[in-house]
This record gives sequence, structure tokens and C-alpha cells, in this order.
Amino acid sequence: MTVVFRRVFIVAGLVSMAVGGALLFEAILSLETVLSFGHTRQGHVTGWIGLAVILLVFVYPIRKRVGRNRTWPRGWFQVHMVAGVVGPLLILVHAGAHLHALVPILAMVAMGIVALSGIIGQAVHYLALRTLNEERRQFLQQGVSPDEAEARLHDEASREETFRVWQLIHAPMTFMFMVLVALHVIGTLYFGGL
Amino acid sequence: MRYLPLPRTAVSVVAVATVVLLAWLGWGSIRHPEALWAPGDLSRYHADVARCVDCHEPFQGPSPAKCLACHSEKRFASRSKPAVRDFHREVIAQQKTCLVCHTEHRGALAQITTNAMFNPHGEFIFRATGTSSCSACHEFGSDVAARPTLLDNEIVRHLFEEGEGAHHRGRMANCLQCHVAGQMEIEDNEQGK
Repeated sequence: MTVVFRRVFIVAGLVSMAVGGALLFEAILSLETVLSFGHTRQGHVTGWIGLAVILLVFVYPIRKRVGRNRTWPRGWFQVHMVAGVVGPLLILVHAGAHLHALVPILAMVAMGIVALSGIIGQAVHYLALRTLNEERRQFLQQGVSPDEAEARLHDEASREETFRVWQLIHAPMTFMFMVLVALHVIGTLYFGGL
Repeated sequence: MRYLPLPRTAVSVVAVATVVLLAWLGWGSIRHPEALWAPGDLSRYHADVARCVDCHEPFQGPSPAKCLACHSEKRFASRSKPAVRDFHREVIAQQKTCLVCHTEHRGALAQITTNAMFNPHGEFIFRATGTSSCSACHEFGSDVAARPTLLDNEIVRHLFEEGEGAHHRGRMANCLQCHVAGQMEIEDNEQGK
């Protein structure tokens, strides 16, 4: 098993445990309520807090593109990663496994795709890219010609390209997610009251 | 080490997909609003409600005024037992909202009354007393969470006498504890415990 695939299994295990834990926590909280936890006052507050945490992730791409001093904002990238995991987990506690209306279901699916693609990008693709570049550098240092090095790294390169798909998904799906979140919030306020 | 930039077509693809999504959701909101927005199916009591705005006031939520549009006092009085009618009349007089006790969107078979009165005696008490309503022996206040008062009437007095000492206040909640399997008659050695 390569180092990259070992990372894939570890990430998959951790994500499954986190999602399962959040859903279990919501189920325990719902035991004491007539309606599900998400429909209680505390459930609403959890949803708003989750949304606020998720909104923090946007500071990183904004700081990266806007401003005079356009250095890579490392600190905000760390906030981006933490908020991109904690926010969706809070939303999972808010929503639980009580899915009925299509709009919040689509928002949840979009959120899952965005969070998962981000995790794959940082935890798996970054490692695959680094491993590929490292091996290429070693081949070239050993006097292997660039064409020969590319031929030897064909499998690793294909895998790296596969994991690269996260980039095509992450930002576009983020936009779709925010549209669906806006619809969910507006719908909730429209039918449930301000 | 840098990731490759997104292709330029990504923005236009997302824009088109968003417009298609919004159009689809808009169409769905008109045709099947419950499927898109409701947190659960309506109960069997309200299955014939056609539009969300029949119960929901925009940006104000479910409103008592909307409830009363169907459950008018006149209609309520003609179709309800006096105790139920009087209870609701008192609740309305206190300007309490219907949502204090009632809920919806919990599924077709769900009960829509939260904190509903729980009958600790079970069906047995109705068979034993020949009554059909809790209010035959109890008086209920407007606070649904409060314990009802036991009436001092012929039915209650007769029930106490029938128990030959075993029926007394604070010991009659669980009838089946002595009347095993819902039997009217119980063993002599169970009497007076």
C-alpha cells in the first residue's frame, strides 16, 4: 500500500467517525425533545453558530486575492481548514438524520461535497503532489532523463491527476452550497417566522 | 508547490448550473412546496390542507388566526365534547397560541398534541367505570401540564367503595398492578395491599 492510499483510508475513517459522532450526538439530544433537536431553540442556535463558523472560511480566499500585501495568508488558511471541518459538523448536529425537505437536503449534500473535497485536497492530493515531485526530483538527480522519469512516474502521475478533481469541485460547489444555504435560511424564516 | 488554477469555463458552468437549480426549485416550490420546504409530512388530521400559507403567515410562522379560520369557535362547539370546548375557550381567552400544545409535520400517523394528557389507568378504567371520558372523574385546568383534580361524584365514590379499602387516593394510577391482565375480579389476598 502506498503512502497516499494509506492516507486515503485514514482520512475516510476519521471522516466517518466524525460524521457518525455528530449524528449520534444529535440523536441523543433529540431524545429529550418532542420535535427533533434541529427544530428546538437550541437547535436553531446551533445552526446559526455552524453557519457563522462556515462563513469564517471565506476570509482565506478573500485575503488571498484582495489587499496590498498579497502574501499567502497562512494563519487564515489554518482557520479555513478548521472552520471548514467544525462548521459542517455543527450543521450535522443541527440537522441530524431527519431529512425531509429537498432544499436542506441539497444544501447538506453540497456541504458534504465541499467539505470532503477540501479534506481530499489538503490531506490527500497535497501529499500525492509532494510525493510525485519528490520522486521526480530524485530520478533527475540520479541522471534519469526527464522523459524516462515521466514514464517511470506514470502511475503516480495518474493518481495525482485523479485527486486533482477536488479543485474542480471545491470552489464551484461552495458557491452552490451558499445559494442553497441562503434558500434554506430564507425558507425557514418565511415559514417559521423571524 | 502550487495547485493548477481552475479552468476559465468553471465560472460559466457554475453560473448556468445555479440558474438551472433556482429555476427547478422555483418550479418545485409552486408544484410540490411540501416536498421542498416542509420538515416532515402533515398529520392525517391536516392531510387535506393544500397550501403552506393556509397555516403559515409569511415571516411570522404558523399563526393562531390561521388555525381559527378552520377551527372556528362555532364549529369547535358543535363538534367537540363540552370539556374540550371549554378547555380551548379558556386557552383562547388567555391569548395563548395553539403552538403551546399543538405541532405538525411529524408524519401522517403522528400525534399533533404535545404534552398531551397521559392516561395512567389505561383503557381498563373506562371499562371498569362505564365512562368514556377522563372528565367523568377529573377536572382539568387550563394548564395541560398540571395534574387534574379528582371529582367527588357518584362514579368516584362508587369506585372507592368497590375497592373495599384497596382503592384510595395515590394508589389508583396503575389499575393493572392489581387487576392483572385487565381482570375485574382479583384474588382475595391481593385486597387491601
